[in-house]
Amino acid sequence: MKRKMIIIFLALTTAAFAADSAIYGEELITNILGYGKEGSLHLGQWFTVLQGKYFSIGFLIVALGIPAVFLIHYLIIGPKVFSHDRKKIPVFTIFHRVIHWIAGVSFLVLVPTGFIMVFGTTFGGGEFVRICKDLHALSTILFCISVVPMLIMWFKEMLPTMDDVKWMMILGGYLSKVKRPIPAGKFNAGQKMWFWVCTFGGILMILTGAVMFFQDFELAIIKSMGLTQIDFLRLSAIVHNILGMAVAALFFTHVYMSMFAIKGAIHSMITGDKEEEEVEILHSTYYKQLKEQNKV
Amino acid sequence: MSEMSRLKFYCDEGRCIECDGCSIACAEAHELPAGINRRKVITLNEGKEGLEYSLSIACMHCNDAPCEQVCPVDCFYIREDGIVLHDKETCIGCAYCLYACPFGAPQFPREGAFGAKGAMDKCTMCAGGPLETNSEKERHIYGQNRISEGRVPVCAAMCSTKALLVGDAQEVSAIYRERVLARGHGVQTSPMTWSRAYGTK
Repeated sequence: MKRKMIIIFLALTTAAFAADSAIYGEELITNILGYGKEGSLHLGQWFTVLQGKYFSIGFLIVALGIPAVFLIHYLIIGPKVFSHDRKKIPVFTIFHRVIHWIAGVSFLVLVPTGFIMVFGTTFGGGEFVRICKDLHALSTILFCISVVPMLIMWFKEMLPTMDDVKWMMILGGYLSKVKRPIPAGKFNAGQKMWFWVCTFGGILMILTGAVMFFQDFELAIIKSMGLTQIDFLRLSAIVHNILGMAVAALFFTHVYMSMFAIKGAIHSMITGDKEEEEVEILHSTYYKQLKEQNKV
Repeated sequence: MSEMSRLKFYCDEGRCIECDGCSIACAEAHELPAGINRRKVITLNEGKEGLEYSLSIACMHCNDAPCEQVCPVDCFYIREDGIVLHDKETCIGCAYCLYACPFGAPQFPREGAFGAKGAMDKCTMCAGGPLETNSEKERHIYGQNRISEGRVPVCAAMCSTKALLVGDAQEVSAIYRERVLARGHGVQTSPMTWSRAYGTK
């Protein structure tokens, strides 16, 4: 009798488990019936084609093409070198720097592990890629901590201005070696572009990544939009990959600019101070403001 | 590859009585952990008189399997006889195969660090995996390898109404035609799920 009860209990709980699933329960039927059929979103097929053919090509272009462009830039035009003998201008508080580096450390893990997963076959799959997958998930926590403070602390200075249009027209002056004042406030248009992709794009990366990590859950908002959980997963994977390319591309640019293109620029994020000449040339509008306020 | 050697699944919706025997036989034969269901019985048009029917669904071992196309670590391989298998030691549990699959076949145990998804599990058509055939390790990781012994996959073997068939594509097609003719109604050119899994021919 007791044994029978246990069996009935087990049978009921497993049935409940299956019914609770947002993928393998009721929605399984809609997925099977709707897959690739007229009226469906065709996300299964879109994902198959994109992931099967195009995502890896896109990431390959980002991983090889962008560093190649920078190498050519470095060899032909070369880095900008500014005098380190003039005064230092404090630009980043300790709070700015700590938040920046929490995000920075997370990116140093997120970007390489992401690439390892995209090119999983090259790395042989198995344990190594699995560990990278876990590290990718873990380092997201660091990024979660830093992204909101970062969004708030630089929000005002990152808003677009007329300088950004002018900056874009001359590509920030990076195509010539001549030291001419470049129209830019505390942050130039390139930095702003990176900031917005990193914060709002980054938050979207966290959300789509979390969707894929937790996989089997129910969200009322998604259901009310008429999206099944499996289509939500497909959409998340597509968005995560495309946005991932943009984030990686801008991340490489950010690293190149701070470490190679402008000699010593990375020190401002360590000590908090920028070289006066660097500010005068690359952030001319900001420099004028500081002059007016007698801060330099 | 000749059509003769191609193995396919077929579930007769006119015969399936939703007894769930196939999925339980599968889970027991392969000693699957709780929460992993390689095979499931689904009911369509539930409650609609005359339209309600049930189907047993698992990996259909598709032609041009979409799971194989999207796998970032290329852990899938398709046998000569069409059986789609994967290497669990290469699999990283990313679940891309689930997103690509029309049948919701790939399953993921929660076993990794912090509840991350473990290696994918799915129907092997009782053909084991890439390890040494009928070895203890193969049985432990992939379940029974009945195909190697010339035995029918366990789900179809125990199906009491013989709704679930598996075998050579031409033989299964012949049985399908026979049944459709005998019933004399509801003539379809091919079984449900076949156009999606095996293409229209």
